[in-house]
Amino acid sequence: MRAKPASIALRHLALILVSAIMLVPFYWVIKTSITNENIYAYPPRILPVSPHLFNFVDVWYFIPFPRYLLNSVIVSMLAVAGNVVFNAMAAYALTKHFVGKQTVMLLFLSCMLVPFQATIIPAYLVTANLGLLNTYLGLALPLMSTIVCIFVYKAAFEAVPHSLVDAARIDGLKERQIILRVLMPLSKPAIATNVILAFIWSWNAFLWPLIITREPLMQTLPLGLARFLSYLEDSTGALYAFAVMVLAPSIFVFLMAQKEFIRGLTSGATKG
Amino acid sequence: MTLPSWITSRWFIVPAVIAVVTVGWNIYVAAHNSGLVEGRVVDAAGRPVAGATVTLYERGFVTHTPKDQTKTDAAGVFRFTANNNHALQLQAEQAALGLSDRPGFRLWFRAQDLSLAEPLRFTGRMP
Repeated sequence: MRAKPASIALRHLALILVSAIMLVPFYWVIKTSITNENIYAYPPRILPVSPHLFNFVDVWYFIPFPRYLLNSVIVSMLAVAGNVVFNAMAAYALTKHFVGKQTVMLLFLSCMLVPFQATIIPAYLVTANLGLLNTYLGLALPLMSTIVCIFVYKAAFEAVPHSLVDAARIDGLKERQIILRVLMPLSKPAIATNVILAFIWSWNAFLWPLIITREPLMQTLPLGLARFLSYLEDSTGALYAFAVMVLAPSIFVFLMAQKEFIRGLTSGATKG
Repeated sequence: MTLPSWITSRWFIVPAVIAVVTVGWNIYVAAHNSGLVEGRVVDAAGRPVAGATVTLYERGFVTHTPKDQTKTDAAGVFRFTANNNHALQLQAEQAALGLSDRPGFRLWFRAQDLSLAEPLRFTGRMP
């Protein structure tokens, strides 16, 4: 039975309203970034007055923004690469039957309950013992494999028919070749989900980079944002411009891969 | 003739467009960042002022600080050739005329060449 046009229109109207409400904070950040308005001004202005982009220029030059950007890009790329590779290997192992598999699964699930703040001291000590403090690899290390993303891969791998994997094995493919040539090409939504989540988490990471970086030039963008806030606390426009510049890459990555991301999160969620 | 599928993919098109825009912008910047700042100084009646001292103020985090000075020629023209900032102020000074107004200029990139559309004008304000 098809829905009536009036019902569809109402549904869309409600969705547009909810979307508008959710987008208001983003609009406000962007509006403030292209003006020098005081955000506490009353009554607030809905539309920007005399908009300009010079706040972005200020951000680019007043702090070593290109360096922070480069640091964030390198750390995020390492985290993304680590997640895509290591999580696939771990997930493939979890699709197999072996002694203690349930224990491993339980361990993974229980580790998800432990907040990162609780493990930050051991993580710091491990990183220090590896000699990776104040390095890109050290910055990316705790984010190079995440349990949620392992389960995303696991769900995707389990959706691939066993007969396909068996056929590949009969054709002489080794285990890593099965992952690389059979499972990964059939799990693109899971890869996209891994890429997006790893990118966003590493891009926005604040506490870990704050702890293990020793030099200002090794800082990432979220740390730069905090530093910028302490320097220019009266310059709301520039601060919001910085926030937009920090947010833009992760929103861009999400928009690029949103279709695969949604598919990756929902695959395995329903049966039949 | 059909194009390979990767060429029409958004994963190729969007990064390619960004790369082209970035390269284009950097070429433009490289061609216009010699640090030249030039303009004229006039008195309240609009006549050129020769021998006025023009100070270039560079914007820091909170304040503007004097960075460079030059003098106007007989036609009231001044020229700085080594500006390395993206936000600056200019002010002229002469013993007989006092201080000019001190307009601010915001540039799109560091050391962008700037030719003032309006001259610096003495308003009779004394230091």
